[in-house]
Amino acid sequence: MQNAKDTFYEMLRSRIAAANPERTIVLRGVTRPGVLVEENEFVSAVTVADCFRLRWIDASVNAENALPVATLTCEVLYETAGTAGNVGMDRGRLLTQMDAELAAALNAWPQKTAKQNYAALATGGSAAAMATNIWWSDVVLGPLVVKGDRFARTAKVTVMSCEEAGEL
Amino acid sequence: MNSTTETMPPAVRRVRAYFAPVNRAAKQPTIFDPAQQGMFALEAPPSPWIDLGWISGFTRKSGTKIEPVRAGAPATPQMQSRSAIDATVALQFASWGKLQMALAAGTQQMNLLKTQSGAVSAGSGGAAVPAVALQSGSTASVLQLGAAATNFAVGETVVVDVDYTGQLGFVGSGVSGAYVKSALTDVDYVRRVSMNVGRIAAISNGAITLEQPLLAGIPTSLMKVSGVAGFCDREGSTFFQEWSALFVAEGQQGERVLWHYPRLQAMASATESSAAGGGGLEMVRQSAEFRALPVADAVDGENVVCFRSFVVC
Repeated sequence: MQNAKDTFYEMLRSRIAAANPERTIVLRGVTRPGVLVEENEFVSAVTVADCFRLRWIDASVNAENALPVATLTCEVLYETAGTAGNVGMDRGRLLTQMDAELAAALNAWPQKTAKQNYAALATGGSAAAMATNIWWSDVVLGPLVVKGDRFARTAKVTVMSCEEAGEL
Repeated sequence: MNSTTETMPPAVRRVRAYFAPVNRAAKQPTIFDPAQQGMFALEAPPSPWIDLGWISGFTRKSGTKIEPVRAGAPATPQMQSRSAIDATVALQFASWGKLQMALAAGTQQMNLLKTQSGAVSAGSGGAAVPAVALQSGSTASVLQLGAAATNFAVGETVVVDVDYTGQLGFVGSGVSGAYVKSALTDVDYVRRVSMNVGRIAAISNGAITLEQPLLAGIPTSLMKVSGVAGFCDREGSTFFQEWSALFVAEGQQGERVLWHYPRLQAMASATESSAAGGGGLEMVRQSAEFRALPVADAVDGENVVCFRSFVVC
C-alpha cells in the first residue's frame, strides 16, 4: 500500500504544480509545490494554509482477485484566509480556485498512473516503475467549514491498487 | 502480455462508443481490426471511426439458442447445434449530438432546415430557405460561399449535401440517411436527412470554417449548404439506420475490452430516460436498443454478429 500512497502523492503534486506553478509552500527550508502528506511531516499545531494536505484514513484489501486489491481512502484538506492585500475578502474566491485545481487534477483523464516504488530514494537510488497501475475515483468535495478567519474544506478520493508480490 | 495483469478482471470506469458508416448500397460495413488498432487513443479513433462519447447502461444480450441433439432411449444429448443467432445491445448516450440522436432514433433523422418567411407549417420543417452553392476550393472543414457566407452566423449548424433530383434508394452523403421508395418533389430532401452536418466556428472572407470536418469529407461541386435550426425524428417512419459500432472499456491496468458490431440496426424507437441532475433537475438521456446483423468473417467465413476482443498494451 505504501507504494500506492507514494505514487498517488507524486501524481497529485505533479498535476497541481503543472496547473498552478505559483501554489508553493516552504517546508523545512525547501520551496516545493503546495501538496504535502501529513504523515510524512513533523507533527505541528500550525495548519499550513493555501496548500493541499493528504491524510490517509480507511484502508481495506480485497483478496478475492488474482492479485489482492487495496482500497485506500484519502482525505485532502485545504484552507485559505484569502490574501492580505484584499484583507481576506477574497477567501471564498481562493477556496473556489483550490476546489477547481483539485477537481481538475483528480478528475482529469487518465485517472490512473503507473505505480512506482520509491524505497531506493532513501539510499540515493531512483524510483522504480512497478508492473501495475494505481487508479482512483472522482473527488468528492465536502462542505465548507469556517475556521476563524479561514475557509476550509475536506475532499475525499478513493485510491486503489493491485498489491504485487513483495509489496508492503 | 503482462503476466501480472492478464488474469485480473478489468476494472472499468465507463464505456466509450464509436461510429463508422455502413455502405448500405454495397452492403459493406466498416470492419475494426483489434490486432492493428486495438490500443488507439480514445480521443482520436482511427479513420473512419467517429467518437460518440461516453455511454452508460451498456448492456449486451445474446439471444442465440443452443439446442441439444438427442438420440437413444432415453433420449440423451449427443451433440449440440445453434438453432438461432441473435444479439442485442442497449445503452444510453451521454450527449445529444446529431449522430447520437440519429442512431437512438433508428430511423430518418431530419435536419430542421431554416424555413422561408411565411412557409406553410410542417411537422419536420416547412419549405427551406434556398440552399447556397459551394464554390471551388472548399474542403471538409472550410466551405467557400463567397458573399453568401454572410447569410450564416458563427455557432450555427449547417448541412452540406446535394439537391434531391428524383433519386431512388439510399440517399445522403457519407452515411445513408434515408431510403427513397418513390420520387419526391422536395429539392431539399437529401439535405433534410443528411448526416453531413457541421457547426460554424468562424466566418471570414467568404468562407465558413467548421468545428470538425464533414463526415463525407471534401464536398463535391454539386453540394449546397443549408442552415439548420435543429433536428427531428418521427415515430412511425420506416427507414432503419444501420451503423458499424465499436464499444471500448478500458481497464485500470491499460487492458481493453472491445466489442465490435459491424452492423447494428435500431430495434426500438426513440426513448429517453431521466437521471437526477442535482438541484431538482433531471438529466434527459437518450436510450437506444440495437439488434446486431451478421457479417462473414474474412478469416474463415463464419457468420458472426459481434467480435469481442481483449487487448493488452
